[in-house]
Amino acid sequence: MADKSKLGMEFPPYVIEVEKAKIAEFAMAVSQKNDKEQINPIYAKSEAAKKAGYSGIPVPPTFPTSFMFWTGGGLMGIVNSLGINLGRLLHGEEEYEYFGEVCAGDVITGKMKVAKMFDKEKKDKPGKFMEFTLLETEMRNQRGELVIKARTTLVER
Amino acid sequence: MTIKFAELNIGEAIPSYTANPITRTDLVRYAGASGDFNPLHHDNTFVEVFGMKRVIAHGMLIMGIAGEAVTALVDNKNLRKFSVRFAGMTEPADFNDFENTKKRATITVSGKVVNKFEENGEKRVKCDIVAKDALGSTKLSGFFIAAV
Repeated sequence: MADKSKLGMEFPPYVIEVEKAKIAEFAMAVSQKNDKEQINPIYAKSEAAKKAGYSGIPVPPTFPTSFMFWTGGGLMGIVNSLGINLGRLLHGEEEYEYFGEVCAGDVITGKMKVAKMFDKEKKDKPGKFMEFTLLETEMRNQRGELVIKARTTLVER
Repeated sequence: MTIKFAELNIGEAIPSYTANPITRTDLVRYAGASGDFNPLHHDNTFVEVFGMKRVIAHGMLIMGIAGEAVTALVDNKNLRKFSVRFAGMTEPADFNDFENTKKRATITVSGKVVNKFEENGEKRVKCDIVAKDALGSTKLSGFFIAAV
């Protein structure tokens, strides 16, 4: 059971440099490709990205979620600090708002907080509840510009 | 690579995108790429403890596939918002029974234009999207907003 006393808790900020090779690796994973040559060239080659109007190699739209896995103890660290049972954990919702580009070489600082915690009764099992935890993360680049807001809803079934 | 939204009316479908049947190798590759090493997605001995028959795909892999579908239509840099609700689990195809299991692992992302508006001095389009497997089971639904 998620520990409701964690509502409002702010996780220590994480700082991560966006690495070129991780962008290509991620683009390969979501496009199910075995080779860098097979992915959209904006995710692998600076010249292709610049030609397409980016200041550098951009990150794919869902890449920012991986920042939290590479910092602050990763998934297990987050789950343990919230008292969530890993075996009952489901990902409920994910949302990104994009305010500026994130490219290879950028240094992103993410601040994540526990924005909401609530229960919902199961439709098929009256008296049994699903527990929801909403995490909100603000990501800023090395110039202090807000580039992405992410909202992650975790569910314990 | 992108489409002309000026030529699409509200209610009209956007081109759909079908991914390859998801395999356990895809799950391992996504785990390594994203850093999400929840054993639910690669370790059968873990999922069996919870009464599940086999590992399931990361929800974020399905959203990543949806992201591929979206950025086939709008440039990455024009995306303003991308939001999904996960609706169902996805089991990978089994290689020892591929023909019978590939449909549950084949994701198609489709959608339609639901709004066109101006915000922050730019023309924007909002599209609803849904990802389903080839058996018709919904994996996620949501929307994106892009500058066009």
